[in-house]
Amino acid sequence: MTSAVGVRPKKSAGSLPPGSGLGGKHDRPRDRALRGALHTFLGLTCLVWIAPLLWAVYASLRSYDDTAQHGYFSLPSKLTFANFAKAWTSADLPHYYLNTLLITIPALLITLLFSSLVAFCVSRFNFKFNLALLMLFTAGNLLPQQVIIVPIYRLFLLTPVPSWLSDSGYLLDSQFGLVLVHVAFQTGFCTFVLSNYMKTIPHELTEAARVDGASVFRQYWQVILPLCRPALAALGTLEFAWIYNDFMWAIVLIQTGDKMPITSALASLSGQFFTDYNLVAAGSLLTALPSLIVFFVLQRQFIGGLTLGSTKG
Amino acid sequence: MAEVAYVNASRIFSGNPPVRAVDQLQLDVADGEFLVLVGPSGSGKSTALRMLAGLEDVDEGAIEIGGKDVTNVPPKGRDIAMVFQSYALYPHMTVAENMGFALKLRGVAKAQIKEQVAEAAKMLDLTKYLDRKPKALSGGQRQRVAMGRAIVREPSVFLMDEPLSNLDAKLRVETRANIAALQQRLGTTTIYVTHDQVEAMTMGHRVAVLKDGLLQQCDTPRALYDHPANAFVAGFIGSPAMNLKTVPLTAEGAKLDGIVVPLSRAALDKASGESLGEVTFGIRPEALALVSSEEQGMNMTVELVEELGADALVHGAVKIGEGTERFVVRVDGRTPPTLGQQVKVAVRDTTEIHLFHPESGDRLEA
Repeated sequence: MTSAVGVRPKKSAGSLPPGSGLGGKHDRPRDRALRGALHTFLGLTCLVWIAPLLWAVYASLRSYDDTAQHGYFSLPSKLTFANFAKAWTSADLPHYYLNTLLITIPALLITLLFSSLVAFCVSRFNFKFNLALLMLFTAGNLLPQQVIIVPIYRLFLLTPVPSWLSDSGYLLDSQFGLVLVHVAFQTGFCTFVLSNYMKTIPHELTEAARVDGASVFRQYWQVILPLCRPALAALGTLEFAWIYNDFMWAIVLIQTGDKMPITSALASLSGQFFTDYNLVAAGSLLTALPSLIVFFVLQRQFIGGLTLGSTKG
Repeated sequence: MAEVAYVNASRIFSGNPPVRAVDQLQLDVADGEFLVLVGPSGSGKSTALRMLAGLEDVDEGAIEIGGKDVTNVPPKGRDIAMVFQSYALYPHMTVAENMGFALKLRGVAKAQIKEQVAEAAKMLDLTKYLDRKPKALSGGQRQRVAMGRAIVREPSVFLMDEPLSNLDAKLRVETRANIAALQQRLGTTTIYVTHDQVEAMTMGHRVAVLKDGLLQQCDTPRALYDHPANAFVAGFIGSPAMNLKTVPLTAEGAKLDGIVVPLSRAALDKASGESLGEVTFGIRPEALALVSSEEQGMNMTVELVEELGADALVHGAVKIGEGTERFVVRVDGRTPPTLGQQVKVAVRDTTEIHLFHPESGDRLEA
């Protein structure tokens, strides 16, 4: 955005009024120069943006000894995948991938289920607190999550749950608790998006279902939900990335190392006195991989999820 | 099979002031009858149908199906099937699934659903398309699927809400005849909503005309055409519309430009009883005729000639009192007058004159 402002022709661009044919012709080489400048600027911005990642990739391919001797800004003597192999085994990455899966998938499914139920309710039925309910769910998104870390921590500390759900006996330090937190924070956004999507589905469809003899749940499950598939796919992709990438809540609410999801478990790669940054870089890249794969495979849904609900249809 | 009754049923939409979308509707539909609800947009015809379907609340009065009060029964308990204007086919289901959905919900065995769907599909010429999704069908095919979905259930009442309005003119005429024939064959009580008076006249055993939520008249198409109960029905039924003009009344009859049209004794008595100086005079375009200049008639300047093939419609201006009024005359299609021509128009048959009260619009004679 700012780049566009930066290259906008200044007032002195021409003595002729803007929009006159002559002026346009006269300005053409100038336009080309400006476009070139714009592209250079954008290219550089991209480079700055991606540099840390590229550097991490570079570092991860070098051995610790190499960088210790020559520093991180040096040409490599040898490139190797050893760090990836080491991170995979020494950090026990498969275990943490599984942990993440056990948190992300239930959280995702429950979020989509709850939010679609609420969205169905507020978009399909006329009742008094219809709008207020939707606003409540939407407003919940605006609250910065960090603000309520302490109360949630205290709450989790004091809430007992059956031992088959959590071996700590409390919500704190349980993956179930982490799932709950994600569901609570993501349902608002999903409700907002899904209710907007459901509003675009004609009312006649549910009316036809009612005449056909469908109960409210049938209308939801067999008519509306199948029609929301594009929205659910988009939201599912987006939410997967968000929940997967969560670091903060896992650090705060999980205390036993081997229950952590992969993002927070990476911390175990850094020692108290010594950290092999090449190894950490390799571990981070491995951690980011699923997100990247999901993004590239489901790119369309991902972008759809971001713009969905902002426009009708 | 069942008879249907609206017992002073009203639907009131909240607002300031509240709108009586359907106002004290009193209507009895016999078993197996094809009743058409017709009226301009906003007349409450669709609302009345939705009240019968159970999709709209009944604020006053009651609704009965098969002699049972169903006012507070949800749609699924009413044994009705509805065809929507937009068809409302489930986009994610195939034609067969769409048609069998209601049966599936009722827990009918799969084999029987298949059989019933196949039977209905055959009746509607849809057998080839059973595995397609609605998206892959043409407008006419979708319309037939919507019909099929209603037929498969073998309900006691069919409700149709402008089912033909999304079809092109030719297909509409064709489908119109098909629906009427199908209804005849199945013998199911049918309530059909339309804004198109041609559809109403051609399809209905009886036609109920609504305006502003009020029932104006309910009768056979012929009776509506011959004896409209008020000026609104007179103007609404028939195409082109009846010529309805407010004209001064004399002792002999209604005074138009140059002629006095003799009126029946009964009508004159009724008018003088209410000491009316004017009446709303109605005459259909086909009851007027162009006559030679020697004969008595109104002088009309031709403003527009619509040639329909068999006939032509001549629109023209006639001086009545101070101002001019436009008249439409149906003439033989082979010899229409030309634009701007001065013609003489006479009343062909005085028995086809309709007289209405100039203010209330009610019919003056019995």
